Amino acid sequence: MSGKAHQYAFFLGCIAPNRYPGIEAAAIKTSRNVGIDLVPLKGASCCPAPGAFGSIDLKVWMSMAARNLVLAEQMNMDIALICNGCYKSIWEVNHKLKHHDELRDDVNEVLKEIDMEFKGTIDVRHLAEIYYDEAICGVAKLADSVTTPLKGVKIAVHYGCHLIKPRKDREFEVEAVGDTENPMWMEELVGALGAEPVQYRNKMQCCGAGGGVRGYDIAHALDITNEKLINMNEVGVDAITDICPFCQLQFDRGQIEIGEKFGMEWSVPVLHFSELLGLAQGMSPQELALDLHGISCEPFLNKLQ
Amino acid sequence: MADEAKSQKPRVGVYICHCGTNIAGSMDIKELEEYSKEIPNVVLVDEYQYMCSTPGQKKIEEHIKEHNLTGIVVAACSPRLHEPTFRTASKEGGLNPFRFEMANIREQNSWVHMHDRQGATDKAKDALKMAVAKASLLEDLYPKSVPVEHAAMVVGAGVGGIQAALDLASSGIKTYLIEKSPTIGGRMSQLDKTFPTLDCSQCILTPKMVDIDRHPNIEMMTYTEVEKVEGYIGNFDVTLRKKARGVLTPAEAEARGIVGGGCNGCGDCEGVCPVIKPNPFEMGMAPRKAIYIYHAQVVPLIYTVDFDSCVKCNLCVDICGDKKAIDLEQEDEFVTVKVGTAVLAVGYELFPIEKKTEWGYKRYDNVINALEFERLICASGPTGGKVIRPSDGEVPKRVGFVLCAGSRDNTGIGKPYCSRFCCMYSLKHAHQIHEKIPGAQPYIFYMDIRSFGKMYEEFYYRIQDEGAKFIRGRVAKIEEDPITKNLRVITEDTLLGQPVDIELDMVVLASAVQPTAETTHVRNLFGISCSGDGWLLEGHPKLNPCGTTTAGVFLAGVCQGPKDIPDTVAQAEGAAAAASIPIHVGEVELEPYFAMCIDDKCAGCGMCIDQCPYSALALVEKDGREVMQVTEAKCKGCGTCGGFCPGGAIWMQHFTTPQIVAQIDAFLLGGEQ
Amino acid sequence: MAKAKGYSDENLSVRLADRYYRPEESSEDFLKNVEKIGMTVAHMCYQCGTCTGSCPSAPRSSYRIRKFVRRAVLGLENDALTDPDLWLCTTCYSCTDRCPRDIAPTDIIMAMRNLAFKREIVPRNFLNTVQFIYKTGHGVPNNDVNRAARVRLGLEAEPETTAKYPDFIPGIQKILDHYGLKDKADEILAEGQ
Repeated sequence: MSGKAHQYAFFLGCIAPNRYPGIEAAAIKTSRNVGIDLVPLKGASCCPAPGAFGSIDLKVWMSMAARNLVLAEQMNMDIALICNGCYKSIWEVNHKLKHHDELRDDVNEVLKEIDMEFKGTIDVRHLAEIYYDEAICGVAKLADSVTTPLKGVKIAVHYGCHLIKPRKDREFEVEAVGDTENPMWMEELVGALGAEPVQYRNKMQCCGAGGGVRGYDIAHALDITNEKLINMNEVGVDAITDICPFCQLQFDRGQIEIGEKFGMEWSVPVLHFSELLGLAQGMSPQELALDLHGISCEPFLNKLQ
Repeated sequence: MADEAKSQKPRVGVYICHCGTNIAGSMDIKELEEYSKEIPNVVLVDEYQYMCSTPGQKKIEEHIKEHNLTGIVVAACSPRLHEPTFRTASKEGGLNPFRFEMANIREQNSWVHMHDRQGATDKAKDALKMAVAKASLLEDLYPKSVPVEHAAMVVGAGVGGIQAALDLASSGIKTYLIEKSPTIGGRMSQLDKTFPTLDCSQCILTPKMVDIDRHPNIEMMTYTEVEKVEGYIGNFDVTLRKKARGVLTPAEAEARGIVGGGCNGCGDCEGVCPVIKPNPFEMGMAPRKAIYIYHAQVVPLIYTVDFDSCVKCNLCVDICGDKKAIDLEQEDEFVTVKVGTAVLAVGYELFPIEKKTEWGYKRYDNVINALEFERLICASGPTGGKVIRPSDGEVPKRVGFVLCAGSRDNTGIGKPYCSRFCCMYSLKHAHQIHEKIPGAQPYIFYMDIRSFGKMYEEFYYRIQDEGAKFIRGRVAKIEEDPITKNLRVITEDTLLGQPVDIELDMVVLASAVQPTAETTHVRNLFGISCSGDGWLLEGHPKLNPCGTTTAGVFLAGVCQGPKDIPDTVAQAEGAAAAASIPIHVGEVELEPYFAMCIDDKCAGCGMCIDQCPYSALALVEKDGREVMQVTEAKCKGCGTCGGFCPGGAIWMQHFTTPQIVAQIDAFLLGGEQ
Repeated sequence: MAKAKGYSDENLSVRLADRYYRPEESSEDFLKNVEKIGMTVAHMCYQCGTCTGSCPSAPRSSYRIRKFVRRAVLGLENDALTDPDLWLCTTCYSCTDRCPRDIAPTDIIMAMRNLAFKREIVPRNFLNTVQFIYKTGHGVPNNDVNRAARVRLGLEAEPETTAKYPDFIPGIQKILDHYGLKDKADEILAEGQ
């Protein structure tokens, strides 16, 4: 780890800042309340999208991700991010380049053209796993930061894929985060906010958006999303929470698209964990730009006691 | 040490083996012959296609007398193969067999340098030069024979240990059968039926268990563990820890003067004991008390007190009454026995399959492992043989069997090897479901069906004929319905090329097997290695499957690698036969690589004594001063003392300092490389 | 791939095509390339089906990841790269997470997609993403509705990314140009028109 304790270069990605800016605003404000300082990372680009971009050329994917990493290396600061897809690109490329000399040399040859060099001096973490890590925050500390507990609501956790899969290519400070079959750590974080996390069938399934499939065959992607919505509905939920803005987009806009394409009407509010945490720490729906969501969050907000 | 031959100038004969094309194909034999002629002390150089053949050996035998040779060098394969062959040939020719030196120019040369002919040849020249240098200094040595104790030990009393003990004892050898649990019988006692005959397991085992109990030559020691092993083949001193059972056998009671006392297995104590614990024999699915027997057919029929859970309420002591069989103050007892050979038959346990989280073991009530299934379907088990679901006690109709659960797994979580007998027992389980539950439908999820043994393929045919549904696909994951507790098995039917989602009432995981937790400790006591997969290492996988590289210690059963009952019993018989040979011969020859103390140089400092890993050294008084003396029978010639002695007073026979220095000099001062 | 017979009736030629697999139709380099780009040991696959059993796309399409791995091992490059199902993988990595032979089937798909792109086989949406990244540095660029929302939130209209610092974009373009990606994408998009 490098840089000051609990200070991270904040990698934004694309969808959070450019479609759900409430996530960005919430992340900065709420993390500060538990002693985490998210510092702007100047000049970052798309991570780049591991599925959409990696499918074209993995070498270019690595070079682009490396450029983003070097920006943080230049700040001498570890990266914190809020998106599973970005985690795959940023964390995994960081890990790959640190451990494979030939890959690193290839990438640095390209980066040389823009006067950059990947040195492998920083680490990358997802903000959600930082919240769960007692060394920095932890469930109890998170619960202490809650001023308006989210009482009376049932929330389904969608873990997404790229943060934790495949487990053999991941290394977490907290072992429990790495469970790919039946993790419970996000439920613990949701519980810390005062809400009731609920279990539903096949909770670890993908949202369907990744790998470029949302762009290539949206109906196919939506059918996967629909399966998750059906399973969540079976146990009854008031909202879905996620830790990936792309999953969020897929669930949020996806419900509208499913209505249009399949004739199945859904209206389950979808909130990124940072937005949930924002609500729990007293941020208003306006401060979280919840009005930008495809599916209205009103029913959820109204149900909160 | 004064040797007649020493005063004579060395006359070494060198033989270069072609080994067909194994050696000759990679290096120039002619060049080696010419080179050897120039090596000092060499008076004869010869070559042959296969030195180990009869004509090859005859050369050595005849040349010794013809040319008055003092040493023989054969440049050929590894000494591990033919050192004994050429030593014998030398002996037949009238030369002390320890005047023979082998140069390995095959395993350590031609086989690894096949693409560098000149390099290989040059390296062989060095090997020859070094071997001749040593052979010039070799001396007459004489192996020492030690008597073999007429007793054997078998560690582990499952069917493997039982068979080995019966065979050893029946051949007239006093046999100690050591078992860590309170009863003999092992895994086979836990099984209901055995494939492919569908014999009742306990029915075919108990006669052997009774034989053990009654055999005059067998001392059965249950609830006992090996504490320490000292000595060497023919003379193992094994210290045993007889764990405190808290209950006296009739013999033990009599020894204490209690007439007509000791445990008679009545079970009254169990009835009053207030402490309840899970019974490991029933895989935790049935209770036992703090004073217990595992099941009704235990041998010996003696109760055992689990002192970790006993609350010393003494209710059992009271109800035992005049038999006075219970002694809650009993302590572990140590006893040392001497045996000539030992057989390890320490068995296996199931891999903790909850580690493969995708299958939900320990998370889902109705997912069980194969041994739990055996206990459920066994008439003497916790449900009297009725297969019921753990969640609600209902009889399952749709039962799935997941094969290769945790085996053939290279993820680092499971085991990379095949556990060998799970295909067969899963077929058996499918049959039992079909037989016992009318209308039941067994499903078998598999990658392969390995029905390799006698009548095994026919058994597979039968199970398929009975209507078990075989789905070729490794189970990706299992889900549980939170209300019904039914399971959904998700996999692909690879033969159809279609993903399948099958709802079942119960799932049995055919988990991988692995060595028990205690195996590492036991094998270290006996000095046995394990192979890369964790199982105990046999002497040679093809030619010595029952032995080990430690003389006098043999292996039987699954501890050497997964196998079924027929193979376990066969290996046990093989191990017993091999273990009985040194005992029946009565003596065993030790190679004369002993350390030797040169009294004149010995200062009697005693620093070497503790260095010896085999406790073979001691200080003795000789001519009024203390010098070190080697107990040759214990010495393994490891060289630790020889290398350590600050005064250079210890001479390692057959690996003396002058011999080694001569080899080094031959290489460094005039070697080809 | 089935080989049509040279019959006078073309329909029959195709219907009765020779469907044998023969090693001659295997591409020697395909497996090697897939393993190199994907950095995984595809040849170790024993076709257990755990991957397809874990796949979210399999139950709703003809996509079978196990078959794609089989094609890699047998060198059936054409069949693999021209199969439209190649693009149905969501890269959820469930198969990779569970594969008992420690293979990464997802990375085999990614490698095949890379090879398909080299043959100019790629769905348009991927090329559009390349265009966006080349132009703005982002796969999902900022827009006015969002800018207004950001300001209402008290954030700056442009996030701290290349959106606010467009002078970083030439550097990104240099990286993409090093690999000739933009030109290739343009070319393929133009052909498609």
